[in-house]
Amino acid sequence: MATPTDQDLIERWQDEPAPLLPLLHAFQERDGYLSEEAMRAVGRGLRIPIADLFGTVTFYHHFAREPAGLERPRVCDGPVCQMRGTEVLTASLRAAGHDPSPMPCPGRCDQPVPVITGSEVLTGRTAGTLVSGPSPLPPFPPDGTEECVFAGIRRPGRATLEGYRHHGSYDALEQAVTGMTPGDVIDVIDASGLVGKGGAGFPAGRKWRAVAEAPGTPKTIVCNADEGEPGCFKDRVLMDHDPHALIEGMALAAYATGAVRGFIYLRYEYPDTAGILERAIREAEGAGLLGDGILGTDFRFDLCVRRGAGAYICGEETSLLNSLEGKHPFPRNRPPFPVTHGYENLPTVVNNVETLASAPPILLHGADWYQGLGLGDHAGTKVISLSGDIRRPGNYEVPVGLPLAKLLHDWAGGVPDGRTVQAVTMAGLSGGFLAGRDLEVTLDEPSIRPRGSFLGAGGIMVFDDSRDMVAVTRQSMEFFAHESCGKCFPCRIGTQRLVERLDGGGPGSVDAWVDEVADLNEVMKKTSACGLGQAAPLLTESLIRYFPDRIRAYLEKGA
Amino acid sequence: MTMKRNGTPSANGTGVGLTMTLDGEKVAFTRGETVYEVAERHRSEIPTLCYDPRLESFGGCRLCVVEVEGARNPVASCTTEAQPGMRVRTRTAALETQRRILMEMVASENRDLDVDPMHGYASQEMAELLDRYDARTGRFRGATSGTSRPDDDNPFIGRDYENCISCYRCVRVCAEQEGDYAISIMNRGFHTQITTEFGGLLKDSACTFCGQCIQTCPTGALGDLKALANKDVPGETEKTRTICTYCGVGCSVDVMTRGDRIVGILPAMDGPANEGALCVKGQFAFDFVGHPDRLDTPYVRDEKDGPLRPSTWDEALDFAAGRLRKVVEGHGRRSVYGIASGRAPHEAAYMMQRFIRAGLGTNHIDNCSRA
Repeated sequence: MATPTDQDLIERWQDEPAPLLPLLHAFQERDGYLSEEAMRAVGRGLRIPIADLFGTVTFYHHFAREPAGLERPRVCDGPVCQMRGTEVLTASLRAAGHDPSPMPCPGRCDQPVPVITGSEVLTGRTAGTLVSGPSPLPPFPPDGTEECVFAGIRRPGRATLEGYRHHGSYDALEQAVTGMTPGDVIDVIDASGLVGKGGAGFPAGRKWRAVAEAPGTPKTIVCNADEGEPGCFKDRVLMDHDPHALIEGMALAAYATGAVRGFIYLRYEYPDTAGILERAIREAEGAGLLGDGILGTDFRFDLCVRRGAGAYICGEETSLLNSLEGKHPFPRNRPPFPVTHGYENLPTVVNNVETLASAPPILLHGADWYQGLGLGDHAGTKVISLSGDIRRPGNYEVPVGLPLAKLLHDWAGGVPDGRTVQAVTMAGLSGGFLAGRDLEVTLDEPSIRPRGSFLGAGGIMVFDDSRDMVAVTRQSMEFFAHESCGKCFPCRIGTQRLVERLDGGGPGSVDAWVDEVADLNEVMKKTSACGLGQAAPLLTESLIRYFPDRIRAYLEKGA
Repeated sequence: MTMKRNGTPSANGTGVGLTMTLDGEKVAFTRGETVYEVAERHRSEIPTLCYDPRLESFGGCRLCVVEVEGARNPVASCTTEAQPGMRVRTRTAALETQRRILMEMVASENRDLDVDPMHGYASQEMAELLDRYDARTGRFRGATSGTSRPDDDNPFIGRDYENCISCYRCVRVCAEQEGDYAISIMNRGFHTQITTEFGGLLKDSACTFCGQCIQTCPTGALGDLKALANKDVPGETEKTRTICTYCGVGCSVDVMTRGDRIVGILPAMDGPANEGALCVKGQFAFDFVGHPDRLDTPYVRDEKDGPLRPSTWDEALDFAAGRLRKVVEGHGRRSVYGIASGRAPHEAAYMMQRFIRAGLGTNHIDNCSRA
């Protein structure tokens, strides 16, 4: 096949919905980077002022602006991979004649250490042993604990339409469009107590109802698959092994809200997942489960995948919408919220992968069934991505309310090498650390939030008693500083100042150091414009709370 | 900034009777007004650095946060619409502490905290807030942000980004007011940087050198180089409100003088025709006024390619009339074409077309503003 011309690429994408990111990716894949000429062509083709387009391209980590940049190996420097050999792998790549650069966590904490080169993700410990392979399936839960989103995921062939249907699925969609009103569907989701699984925990039924009732069409379903939180890799396994569950969930959301178009906004770091989703969408379209006249009714829903380009903030729903629309991906001011002013300023559901994949089983088995999966008063389940100093890292779908200790020790085998748990992170990195007696929490927001943390998207990294928690905090804060979008002052300046204070800078006396860090924490938490700046200081706050002696030792060493 | 896009509450329909509580006082507002706008009308003096009333609210600096009863965190008043029954506090001890810390953080990222006022209209905003919040404490010391562009040798706009606080007022005014989209935001977080396409010079970008970015910059990171060239001219700066003489739009300007010398031009933010906007000529091209080559008396050139000699108005006008008549007699009335200066007032432009049409009998008349 001949190499496509600029004009070929522009014509391929310019009339598609949300064309900017796929068009930039197409140029990058053709040329190996984004040249000035390529950006000028894209700007002309999509009528975007060239200064704006240039600025936006620089926002994304994985758009290369130097020749051959796409092939340059990018090595994970997330907290777990740093414990597992980022440095060794980087040195080994360099010795093999490559020019590796660091990248933020690409969601492979269960298979350290990942490297992205070209459009391929490889994992391994040295340059010579890098391999590509499928996402590991989730380990079985103990004692036959009932699951929701993982119930069918381990069945062979589940990722194909045939395998998915074989086990009776798309029945929920059929049941909905042939026998239920949109209001009925929302009522079931509402009654089930399903809440958003991406971090904020907003009730899914209420969100769907708000979109259903909001004026303005066309409405949109956006699946937030920009799983950028370090230590979170649950959405990847769901999409890789059960893509039709997500597609069915999105179609249900569309039916319930009256939406006719959908996007899966997938993080750049999951290129294999993109192929799996594209294939599944084609299969579903071919079987009359997407597109016009779904299941012989007049229900229509078009779905497409859009790949991000490496920006944690695009997991924030309003940044994501700006990114989809081809704008600079700063978060929007809220209110108005996406339920009324979302994609193209029209009513939009933005739900996480896990949330949407929960909808089909809930509809099939009923609201009470889902409610009953939780422990005590808690409804449902939560997938936890567990990594770090733990015997069996991986994704675990736990009943909400399960004691953390039970997950760590009974489900995942505890800490290896005879060591003990020093601290765990919550919500990936966003919830800061839990340590000491606070490790006795149960996995639900009412138990965790009073400890100054939150469960969020469900990433938990374990650090044993040999780890330097000041260094871990510094690495983690470097992530937030790297990903701070630069829109609001407290986050833009605060993340930088916190990194410096964890890296030998700032006042040398303990009192002055704690005083400055506590002031930064407070202002960031109270006045930052979005969750990134509000959550980043939970790291330093919990470091001060649990490890004052370590801070003293760190400062004394510096002096 | 004194201009307001939304006025005071009016009796014209939607906004009638809406009230909220502001610092314990019941106040009226119009639907669509932000809390910041309502508070400004009531002289709450909420601090801000990223706000320019002509631009869409951005919510970046977070200095304008206020406490709203029922909200977990303070909210940015500039992006929050006033709601009936809302109870807002604009100056609690907690808010003032947060604002002071924010100002200390802002101060920590810049090379200079004080700049010459000749930098531009808004250039003292940051320094004034640093004083108000007693924030020159030197806390939060660390890396400074921004890379200045001394390599950009354009004669109008100084780009000293080591004093930039990333409020993006320049980027927004360029897009929203001027429509040029010449500058944008590069990179993320602490490494954000105001840039043109591909990081080049302003002259190679879509910039029209209107200077609006300079005048909205609250730190002097952008500076008016023409005015700054006069910063050492002795005397107090006096400002005189007048109308720009360059074209028919009628932009209001405040001409800055020291003694009898014009030292700079400021756009009038409340100018009805321009709302703070000017063009490259109105903003920067004032030095002809005192230029030694400026004509101070009529000159006449007696023969083609001959030298100019000083003359009188009577002689010069008679001379011009005689030559014009000769051209018309020799080559016909359509051999003459009149172009009125865009700088001429209406009355003069009218006289010019009367002169060409009625006086010389041709419709060959135009105005340079058309170009």
